[in-house]
Amino acid sequence: MIGAALAIARVKLLLELRRREVVFAMLLFVVATIVIVHFALRADAGAGPRAAAGMLWAAVVFTAVLGLLRAFAAEAEEGALDALLLAPVDRAAIWLGSALAQFGFLVVVELVAVPLWWLLFFQEDGPAPVPVIAALLLANVGIALVGTLAAALALGARTRDVLLPVLVLPLAIPLVLAGVTATYGAFGEKGGGFGPLGPLGFLALYDLIFLALAWGTSEHLLGD
Amino acid sequence: MRALGRPSTTVPLILSLILVPLTVVLAFVWTGEDVDQGFSQKIFYLHVPIAFTSYVAFAYGAFCAAMYLWRRTPEWDLRSYVGVHSGTIFGTLVLLTGPIWAKASWGVWWNWGDRQINVFLILFLYYCAYFMLRFSLDEGERRRSASAVYALLGLGLIPLSFLAVRIAESLIHPVVFTTSGAAMPSSFFITFLIGLAGMLSLMALLMAVELRGKRAALRVLELQRATRGEDA
Repeated sequence: MIGAALAIARVKLLLELRRREVVFAMLLFVVATIVIVHFALRADAGAGPRAAAGMLWAAVVFTAVLGLLRAFAAEAEEGALDALLLAPVDRAAIWLGSALAQFGFLVVVELVAVPLWWLLFFQEDGPAPVPVIAALLLANVGIALVGTLAAALALGARTRDVLLPVLVLPLAIPLVLAGVTATYGAFGEKGGGFGPLGPLGFLALYDLIFLALAWGTSEHLLGD
Repeated sequence: MRALGRPSTTVPLILSLILVPLTVVLAFVWTGEDVDQGFSQKIFYLHVPIAFTSYVAFAYGAFCAAMYLWRRTPEWDLRSYVGVHSGTIFGTLVLLTGPIWAKASWGVWWNWGDRQINVFLILFLYYCAYFMLRFSLDEGERRRSASAVYALLGLGLIPLSFLAVRIAESLIHPVVFTTSGAAMPSSFFITFLIGLAGMLSLMALLMAVELRGKRAALRVLELQRATRGEDA
């Protein structure tokens, strides 16, 4: 099961490495989103941590949705899905493998987006990096798990491309809330104001709950 | 198709015809004016029962979705759909009555500091997308499974939204309004309970009527297929 998932993730990452279809688009998209939100808020360097935190998280979530639109594109367009479904692998493995690949894409995108965000808005007095990176990694897990599940649900739909953002974004609202809170907290603005769980704990809880729910239901995904 | 009993429409019809108007009458006649909020608090007897009913309907939808995934009979899929649909109808009413109350007692139509309404908004957005998903898939096994999985995921979203809004509140927003646990006078509480019972029976009525309609539609579809000689 885990082996099959890893193999599927490897195929997806290899395919992306050869074709460079998704990650480049995501990179351009994340930069464009940061710029757009920046101009929309007129948030220059020193505009305050709240605006900057919001900008980063809005950009990350929208970019993740862009990547998810292609989550099963290769399978759907080239008929590999039927072969994959006929193969003696668990459907949960197909979902988990795709989620792993999405996680990888997001990490690559953030490796560019976060330093850029830092450079554009803080330079010196930025947030403490560790909580921000931890929050991003945990949120990546959550959005990859939930988003891949939603992408699998939308796979056979006539309106797949418009449907997917509508399915994913409400699910991502708690992630954004916790992510922004963690990022904002990393500025030391209201240090120590974390509740018993804290935003990082919350993100981990989110990942666990949706991992369980998605795993439990994933055998019903991806067609008959 | 194996029907799981015939939902009664008579009992919920009679109950909601009595209880819903009774709530309105009691709210104006029996309960006194609220000390803090005055007259505007009267909407509490409709707004809160409607919100509660909406949660019950969503939970019912999710429960039937789980049952569908377990039993795989179309009946559970219909019930799940009917539950989510009723939840969305009552949810619309919550999002209409909530701002009226907010405007009357806080002076703003929408209060981002209010935890309940924000969680509700997330959940409402989520379940609205359910209909988009459902109706862009063709009728059949795949649509039923996808709808069920989506309805079931909402169960995870409800507690997580509550937690997330609370965590964010404590750091980003000052907590403006806390629901102080002041004990209600018994006339308030009894009126509230009657309102709740009224809304729940209205929900049961709507669900039963829609379920009958959906069953009939499914039966027609099966018969159409049978007459065309296809495998139903």
